[in-house]
Amino acid sequence: MGKNDYNLNRRQFLKSGAIAVGALAAVGAGVGYLQKVTAESRINQKFLRPPGAIDESTFIYGCIKCGLCVQICPIQAIKLAGIKDGLAYGTPYIDVREQACDFSCDSMQCVETCPTAVLNFVQFKDVGEKAIEEYDATHKRDENYNPFPVQIHAMKSIVKMGVAKLKPESCLAFQGKGFKGSPRGSGFKGVNRSPYSGDLKATPVHDKVYDEKICDICVKECPIGDTAIVMADAGSGKMVPEVLDGCTGCGVCVMVCPTGEPSIIVEPVKS
Amino acid sequence: MFGKNNKTPLPAKKKEDIPYIKEGISFKDWKAKNGSGHKWRTIRWSVLIGINLLFILSFMFDLSLLEGSLSGSRLFGFYLMDPFNSLQMLIISAYTGHIKFLTMNFVIGFLTIFIFYFLMGGRTFCSWICPYHFLAEWGEKLHNYLVKKKKIKEHTYNIYLRYVFWVGFLILAFVTQQLVFEDVNPIGILSRAMIYGPGLILLWILALITFEIVYSKRFWCRYVCPVGATWSMVGKATPFGVKFELDKCAHCLDCQKVCLVPHELWFVEKGKATDKRHDVGSDCTRCGLCIDACPGNALSYTIKGWDRIL
Repeated sequence: MGKNDYNLNRRQFLKSGAIAVGALAAVGAGVGYLQKVTAESRINQKFLRPPGAIDESTFIYGCIKCGLCVQICPIQAIKLAGIKDGLAYGTPYIDVREQACDFSCDSMQCVETCPTAVLNFVQFKDVGEKAIEEYDATHKRDENYNPFPVQIHAMKSIVKMGVAKLKPESCLAFQGKGFKGSPRGSGFKGVNRSPYSGDLKATPVHDKVYDEKICDICVKECPIGDTAIVMADAGSGKMVPEVLDGCTGCGVCVMVCPTGEPSIIVEPVKS
Repeated sequence: MFGKNNKTPLPAKKKEDIPYIKEGISFKDWKAKNGSGHKWRTIRWSVLIGINLLFILSFMFDLSLLEGSLSGSRLFGFYLMDPFNSLQMLIISAYTGHIKFLTMNFVIGFLTIFIFYFLMGGRTFCSWICPYHFLAEWGEKLHNYLVKKKKIKEHTYNIYLRYVFWVGFLILAFVTQQLVFEDVNPIGILSRAMIYGPGLILLWILALITFEIVYSKRFWCRYVCPVGATWSMVGKATPFGVKFELDKCAHCLDCQKVCLVPHELWFVEKGKATDKRHDVGSDCTRCGLCIDACPGNALSYTIKGWDRIL
């Protein structure tokens, strides 16, 4: 390689290098702009992250967009965001109206599978182990010794994807109405494991037919139970759903709500 | 990085040492005799399509074979991580403190992939697994055709630009606290699109491939991709590669014409080789196109150290 060749190469390198740095700076500016424009709206409303998600500002870089959580979810509740969600492209979210997380995997698989711990399993592990310890202390000699339901119950109780919020203006119970039939119609593809059914797996929502004098489907189907949502007296004997502190934001209530626009929504937890 | 070889080249081959003259036949006959099939290309495309298909099928039928995507996956339960993606994440996490929460699976996956590609030749990933490479290979064919027809001009840049982008994307990630490269990474985008369903972001891939076809051959793979640059660095001292034997070479340069990184085949030019045997450098993707193209079998796969023992 002659000296001139080398100089030419160096000049060429510096020239294209300058263009490259310019391009990178442009990308950086674009990202900075998008962060400014979209981050606020993303954190505040749309995104319901899978169980165990850490705060959004860490989530956005910690998630390497591998989709393992999407893959492992047995009911396909988790989806990957598209380009219209800006910088959140490729990160997982749950659209609870289409398919809520009903905990029917019974093991927090999505959290356990996450390699970068943006779905942080440690908290679930600790709580689960503690629950087993407590169970062992009293049930060690039981004939049908089975600590797993206790463990999973403890684990799912500490999930906090969001908090359900009722919309009294459209809620059937608030108007004293009942509901008859299938809440989401026959074409609805979502699945759910009803807590009272004893099923091991989730079954299609469109198979379930209700006949309620006062609509209480959300309360019936809640996988957490009476620590999360109950029918409460709203005065003068009128029974309406009431969301309690135990709500995990799983969104099953939103999925099964029979009104056109859901009368109960889940608001993501704000970091 | 710049001066690759300061040794003085061996004297150029004498005419009677050129293989086909030695055999007393014309170059054309010699080429026809030895044939130039597509053996390695067929094998490589099968592997590439097979692995990507394995990803798709694992998701489609819920099999525990190869789950996840090329950004991060699990092979029979063993985690594998994309190196540059993880590097970006590590740099940000080290600063913010998230690093202490990373799982053992992540550490194992990150190390495994480095060890694997160190042994397998670094950029082997590019031509044997990367789905964008497959697309770009077809784009390259089209590009070459257009150049031949004089519809477009060739534009080349300095190959070391990749390292500017490598450093640049890491700095960008750190400054913006965002996996910036993953948002434009055609490997991840294509992999996710194939496995989890397509999206509008595929327009970016379309733009890239169009640019490569009409303006600069293999622009992304040659000059930008920091994933390839990472593998290139990992493969600096790899045992697996392509070796060149000067005695069998006729300096026809067929190998350079098909090569993604022709600068790695600098020794095939007349009077450039400094030794009887050369090994390609770490930019080589071990795609085997040159091995298929070489009429004299002067190029072949090798495991350094092993072939000397055998």
